[in-house]
Amino acid sequence: MKDPKIEVNFEKRKELEKVLGADQVSYCYQCGACVGDCPSARFFEGFNPREIMLKSLIGDFDDLISKDSIIWKCSNCYNCYERCPQDVRPVEVIIALKNIASQNETSPKEILDVTRRIIETGYSVPIVSSSNRIREELGLPPLKKIDVSELKEILKPDNKTEKK
Amino acid sequence: MKMAFFPGCMIPVKYPYMEAAIRKTVPPLGIEIVDVEGFTCCPDPIHFKAADNLGWVTVAARNLCVAEEAGLNIFTICSGCTETLSEASYMLNEDKELRKKVNKRLSRVGKKYNGTVKVKHLVSVLRDDVGIDKIKSTVKKPLTNVMVAIHYGCHLLKPSIFMKVDDPDDPHVMDSLIRAIGGETCRHKEWYLCCGRACFDQNLREEMTECVLDSVKKMDADCMGMICPTCFSSFDLGQIMLARKKKDSEAEVNMISPVYYFQLLGLAQGLQPEEVGLDRHKIKLDNVLEKISLKN
Repeated sequence: MKDPKIEVNFEKRKELEKVLGADQVSYCYQCGACVGDCPSARFFEGFNPREIMLKSLIGDFDDLISKDSIIWKCSNCYNCYERCPQDVRPVEVIIALKNIASQNETSPKEILDVTRRIIETGYSVPIVSSSNRIREELGLPPLKKIDVSELKEILKPDNKTEKK
Repeated sequence: MKMAFFPGCMIPVKYPYMEAAIRKTVPPLGIEIVDVEGFTCCPDPIHFKAADNLGWVTVAARNLCVAEEAGLNIFTICSGCTETLSEASYMLNEDKELRKKVNKRLSRVGKKYNGTVKVKHLVSVLRDDVGIDKIKSTVKKPLTNVMVAIHYGCHLLKPSIFMKVDDPDDPHVMDSLIRAIGGETCRHKEWYLCCGRACFDQNLREEMTECVLDSVKKMDADCMGMICPTCFSSFDLGQIMLARKKKDSEAEVNMISPVYYFQLLGLAQGLQPEEVGLDRHKIKLDNVLEKISLKN
């Protein structure tokens, strides 16, 4: 950000603000309270939640939603949510960016794999042959087969024009 | 006190012994566990939420509806489930537009979120509803001289605006629950640090996990007191993997065993180590068992 003339791409920012969780992004005043307590920033020099908020604020976040983006280094610890004096909830903005990446299919494969597993089986963790054997040894009932028909129904988008 | 049991996925599938510990230790405390039909994955706050935040809150709302229909409040045993269900309740209660939108989707399956159900992690239930004295009254074999280094993890405490479990900067809930069963607690230097499990970067994960472990090992602790199954995986199998990767034989002998609170509660209530699955841990808890004379 060496160029003092920063142009804000409001249209692009609005696109982000429409995603659930990012609606407060314009309240960010770049104080950096999110950085001090951020474990990813502590252990990885290139990760800075304040900079992610700045890019979001000015609507210049294409690199953040591209494949292998730095946003996936977020630890989801919620420290920034706890600290933010403006109620921007940086982690939620990062998750909104992840939502856009997921729609563009640039998120890590694991994201889509786990999500698909939940939709198909109702469980986030794969059930292996030993799962029920171990449960039985511990005197627990076998894992329930989960009916996912309702879950599938409520996950259908509201209409064709609306993005999920 | 009757409550709807929300077991989640990770504990029943991956760590069923934690569920066994809960099913054995909670009824003596006066809590009647109700297995409600119809729950799905909460859904998880890391993957599913990153894929589709609106879908995530909608599925969570459906789970809340299931408990509402049963007329029961929910108790959770996993920090991730607690985060999801608490955040979803908070969002739906604060944001009327969102609630309308979600209810429109729920109406497709004849459901409606009314906001009448409370979600509580089991540790809050123990502290606030059961009470420390009642816990003490069930102890047959106190964990005398057992020093537990507590690692709260992230999602039990934060964000406090809706988690409401304890002060995230100075929590005491686990300390009081460990002391109630006769053990002692200590706060290690990196007690606040994330285990790293939700970073999509292996190196970053390992650095955080290792930093926590180094900090715990500096304490004179017998074990790590855990409440989050995700943290547990980082410090159980994760610790072994770290040692292997470093080919550090010294690290291998200097392992610290993580243990889920309700397994310790089970031991204190007189259960055998196998009944709460301690024999299934990657890193055995022999030093603790020796201290309380359950192993020679």
